[in-house]
Amino acid sequence: MGYYILTYFCIAVFAATIGRLIYRHLTLPLHVRWEIYPVMHEMAERNVYGGSYMEKSDWWRSPYEPSRLNEFKYMVPEILLIRGLWKENKRLWMASFPFHLGLYLMMATVVLLLCHAFFILWAGTAFAADGIIRMIMNGLIPAAGWLGLTAGIAGGLFMLYKRLADRELRNYSTFADYFNLLFILLFFVFALLTVLSGDPSLNGARHYVLGLLTAGAFDPVYAPGQTIPGAFTIVLASLLIAYIPLTHMSHMFMKYFLYHSVKWDDIPNKRGSSIESAVIMNLKFKPTWKAKHIGADGQKSWRDIASSAPREMK
Amino acid sequence: MKTLLKPSDIADKSDRLCHVAPGELTPLPYPYEDFNQTVLTPLKPEKIGNIEASLDDTVAIGIPKPANQEEEEALVRQFLSGLKKLFEKENNWTFLQPLLLSMEHCAKCHTCSDACPVFEMSGRKEIYRPIFRSEVLRRVYRKYLKPGGKITAKLTGDIDLNWKTIARLAELSYRCTLCRRCAMVCPIGVDNGLINHEIRKLFSQEMGIAPKEIHDKGSVQHLKVGSSTGMNPMAAKDSAEFIQEEMEEITGYKVDIPWDVEGADILLIHNAGEMLAWPENVGAFAIIFQAAGISWTMSSEAAGYDAVNYGLWYDDVQFARVAVKHADIARRLKVKKIVIGECGHAHKALTVIADRLLTDDLNIPRESAMVTLENIVMNGKLKFDPLKNNFPVTLHDPCNVVRAMGIVEPQRRILRKIAPRFREMTPHGVENYCCGGGSGFAIMSGYNFAEWRNLVSSRKKFLQILNAFEDEPQAVPKYVCAPCSNCKGAIRDIINYYHAEERSHLYYGGLVELIVNAFEGMKKPIISFGEKPSWE
Repeated sequence: MGYYILTYFCIAVFAATIGRLIYRHLTLPLHVRWEIYPVMHEMAERNVYGGSYMEKSDWWRSPYEPSRLNEFKYMVPEILLIRGLWKENKRLWMASFPFHLGLYLMMATVVLLLCHAFFILWAGTAFAADGIIRMIMNGLIPAAGWLGLTAGIAGGLFMLYKRLADRELRNYSTFADYFNLLFILLFFVFALLTVLSGDPSLNGARHYVLGLLTAGAFDPVYAPGQTIPGAFTIVLASLLIAYIPLTHMSHMFMKYFLYHSVKWDDIPNKRGSSIESAVIMNLKFKPTWKAKHIGADGQKSWRDIASSAPREMK
Repeated sequence: MKTLLKPSDIADKSDRLCHVAPGELTPLPYPYEDFNQTVLTPLKPEKIGNIEASLDDTVAIGIPKPANQEEEEALVRQFLSGLKKLFEKENNWTFLQPLLLSMEHCAKCHTCSDACPVFEMSGRKEIYRPIFRSEVLRRVYRKYLKPGGKITAKLTGDIDLNWKTIARLAELSYRCTLCRRCAMVCPIGVDNGLINHEIRKLFSQEMGIAPKEIHDKGSVQHLKVGSSTGMNPMAAKDSAEFIQEEMEEITGYKVDIPWDVEGADILLIHNAGEMLAWPENVGAFAIIFQAAGISWTMSSEAAGYDAVNYGLWYDDVQFARVAVKHADIARRLKVKKIVIGECGHAHKALTVIADRLLTDDLNIPRESAMVTLENIVMNGKLKFDPLKNNFPVTLHDPCNVVRAMGIVEPQRRILRKIAPRFREMTPHGVENYCCGGGSGFAIMSGYNFAEWRNLVSSRKKFLQILNAFEDEPQAVPKYVCAPCSNCKGAIRDIINYYHAEERSHLYYGGLVELIVNAFEGMKKPIISFGEKPSWE
């Protein structure tokens, strides 16, 4: 039960941290526009060269119509294939891509394990031993697991090598950077050892996820962590789930905000819009900057200060 | 192999952290090899005795050294107080979310490094690497403002905070042109240009530290006198009168610049520097608008005839004050829209950044002159003879118009119509390189800073220009079209510094001059190469 409690706890930390991060970003005041082109939700004819709706005469007369499809067409290969790095830094991509592929396939494996558990627990008949769904699951789970572990170890080792061998990368690398890489690598290695030591179909993982969903009630005979590698895998995977959102590796999901809330945020402010309401609220903030020319005293609002003259003029 | 400087070395007690030795800068091709051993003229000891000059071979700000330990400590406290404010919504709602995201998610992959022209051209000097200054700020922030920071600093990167750290960081924030190529290539979306911008803001808004060219003589003078050039409204009108006469003399075209016309369709705002340094640009706009029958006006109210907004580079409050002035003038003139002349940073300032500052009737529609001009050139009303522009032309993309606004094609469609020998630089469009004069550098020339700009930050642009014309004989005059005042200033300076007019017959100018030059029926050309008119 101790393993389950650890995993529950780590999932809770993960959810709370992610929740806090997302909540913080959703509740931050609207910032000024700082987009950078190409903005991928532009219409196809402008998207190809990085143009914007501001290329049109009297653009404010037309409705703002971003193309979510164009955005999607860009983001899918960006997320799955790390396309930006491929374009700008191929040498690092050789290490980064397999590493990220390994992590994605681990996530896919977890999703498959959850589906497997759901089928067993709540769709018994549809998941008969000789049924097609079960056959597919039995193929996909080890395929995703094996491929993910192999790619993750190869990529992780290559990333570690690059960070150690490349003097420019090494120059900025701190203990935390090496620790993060080693932590993930250790998980990959122990998980691989687990499947290599007599569990090629990831049955232990299937049982563990079933146990997690039922607080160990599904199969009371099954005890998690029977082998040393298996025990390490459970502990490391759980801790990793809790740890990732606490570090810069949260870019995995915070990239959404980096792109949508900053890099591609080109929504114009039109009179009477929600953007205008947010700006009006922002202008009520009372800054306390100390430089003389600002003339802030904690009582005057941004609106007051913006419509005043700098102190040098008075 | 030399040891690379680390971010923590910024606190080093040495007299100079970085020095560019002869031959370390990226080599220039024939006929400029004689510049390959050139380095910056050393700063005179008597000129820098009382200021902080320990970063590299130049000085942008010239911060006075603290007189004693007590003053030093007070400055460190001020710095930390300002740093804290960068992360407070009351003080920094303008950029809080972008800053937080860029501070927290860098993977230190160095993809940004190869995108930075300053870093590349300097011979990969570590202090100019885009993440160097960001990493300094991150470390200081984590160590001195985050709970438990002094302990976690041992794991996430340590740094000492002393006067050297602060003074060098202030100077270092003026070695980046804010071109944001680094941000464009970052796979995660981290923006080192933004972090640099925020460092500048901290120094200006909390400590009152900024280069005098962009604060005292820049935004303060703009608000006080009416223009960062020092021109008051009367002088601006006098200049325009002179421009009208000049235009008639040069081109034979009688032009009338309208002032303060209430209810005009367009309020045209130029960078007032054009009136003084490139009056033909202002004149060419007037000729085009008049010939096209546009209803337009200029404003003679203080700040209304100068589109610049230097606050964009270093101070949100100064930025907001100028933007509000511009919008308020347009509101009172009851114009339908503001058109921004050939000034890149003014484009971004008033169109994009001020968009989330101006509300209600101050939110007047704003348009780039590139777009207005395209409409005029393409609508068929005016007739052109492209052969009048039958000389090699290349286009410089101002970062603020192209990468920051996505206005890429209008100026190209114009050039394809009126300049038969137009060719692109490599790379161009949103992937362009900065002229080297971005973020205020074009107007900063204290100490030996202009020389640093010519040698380092503008070097990539110079190489790009030379490459664009490499298939042309040396004797053929070549035109670099730079539709931005600051870019023009930087390009003018590199042409002069490297004697490129003599050696490569390089000339530069704006877009409107090319348009007017191609007018069918125009008696005399507006563009001349040296003494020769462009048509010969």
